[in-house]
Amino acid sequence: MIAAQPGVSSAPAPRAGLDPRRLRTLQNVGMLCGVSAGAWLGAAEAPTKLVTLGLSPVVISLSMVIGVFLARWTIPALIQGTSYVAADLRQAPHLIVWAVLAGCLWAVANTLTIFAVRDVGLSIAFPLWNSNSLLGIVWGVVFFGELRGADRRRWLGVIGGALLMFVGGTVLAAASAAQIPAKDAMRGVAAALAAGALWGTMYIPYRKAYLTGMSPLSFITFFTVGELGMMTALALTYSGGAAELWSQLSGAKHVLFWLLAGGFVWVVGDLFQQYAVKYAGITRGIPLSNTNQLWGLLWGILVFGELRSASSSVLAQVIGGSLVMAVGAGIIALSSVTRSEHARWEEAAVDEAKRYRVDTRYTRARIAGEDAGGKRRRTWIDWSVVAVATATIVAFALVARPPQIVLNGGWALLLVLATLAILVAAATALWRTTRFN
Amino acid sequence: MSEDVEQKSGNWLGLVLRDAQFWVPVIVLAAGLLVLRWIS
Repeated sequence: MIAAQPGVSSAPAPRAGLDPRRLRTLQNVGMLCGVSAGAWLGAAEAPTKLVTLGLSPVVISLSMVIGVFLARWTIPALIQGTSYVAADLRQAPHLIVWAVLAGCLWAVANTLTIFAVRDVGLSIAFPLWNSNSLLGIVWGVVFFGELRGADRRRWLGVIGGALLMFVGGTVLAAASAAQIPAKDAMRGVAAALAAGALWGTMYIPYRKAYLTGMSPLSFITFFTVGELGMMTALALTYSGGAAELWSQLSGAKHVLFWLLAGGFVWVVGDLFQQYAVKYAGITRGIPLSNTNQLWGLLWGILVFGELRSASSSVLAQVIGGSLVMAVGAGIIALSSVTRSEHARWEEAAVDEAKRYRVDTRYTRARIAGEDAGGKRRRTWIDWSVVAVATATIVAFALVARPPQIVLNGGWALLLVLATLAILVAAATALWRTTRFN
Repeated sequence: MSEDVEQKSGNWLGLVLRDAQFWVPVIVLAAGLLVLRWIS
């Protein structure tokens, strides 16, 4: 049951559809979140360059996931408080299972990307695993009524954009053959494509959660339990046991901070991606967030000097392929959701609520970006979470050394500033429109 | 009414397991683990 709260529409009456202005505003916020997700997810991949230092891919992935775990509890505790998270989970407890499953998918995909970066490089691996948006579109249409009720122009926009992304990805994959040995290329390409399939499927739990009405800030707290659990199991399995894993982690303690930081940055991007899925849908939000490919390209080429020794034809292939993919993503993003399509989303949300016996008033309020009665307040638990996370990060920072890798500081600073500016813009819009619901 | 009781009493796990959509990510996860084993 939803508790009444002054000043908020805690129990709105059933309605035919969202007000057009409200729908447009939510769409715009979702798109902005998608753009912001692209910038932050792209920046988060930069630490995986440390793989060139000889660290095991599972140690890198585990370290990133520890950073991810800290961030996924700290950010919700700071913004909403854990009591708000608990209230959300009482409304839809079944989403705990979905969140843990999504976290497992994320952990395996992230590990695969480390292998992919090692074998084919950041510039090539990125667009390959970004094929996740194509799969996400399929799941969005098949399971959640996305694009149903849309006109022919929007169908053409989404399908045409998806095809452009596929062509761009193919050009980039072809460019990899000129850069690396065939055996490594095949493994790297397989790893990147498998990561794309896992991430593309991960949007099923995302969409289920957000159609039901859960706040992304609540969903990620259990999502990360699956992440850390699966990643720990993988690390123990592939490192040869707990003692060997501990030995590897101890040996890498001077660079662990950078990987934790990478995980923390990833969470910010992923959070925006989740809001993009919620308010723009999988079919629009995910392609837009996959502009992280362009940010990854910028980091790879400008900061880390990737492709420095590549021939001009390979360089042209990489840049051309990336631009084609970006244009495809842009066309998809511009195919905005109409009222009739959104009505189908709302039908899917009601179906989801009925299937899992969730209060439909909660679902309807949340799909409109409104509060559903949860109280935001911070308790000693929240401050403890923040204190422990901060102490952990500071402890790793104290023993950290600058990574022994050549990078261009000027370009790095410029990219960091641009990424922060996008964060401020998207977070402000999200707060004003939805209060982070 | 009995359906409400099912969710509130914690039988939501059964609802999840009976949801056909649940098994799609489970199968993809298993396939991803196999690929990881192959390449590592």
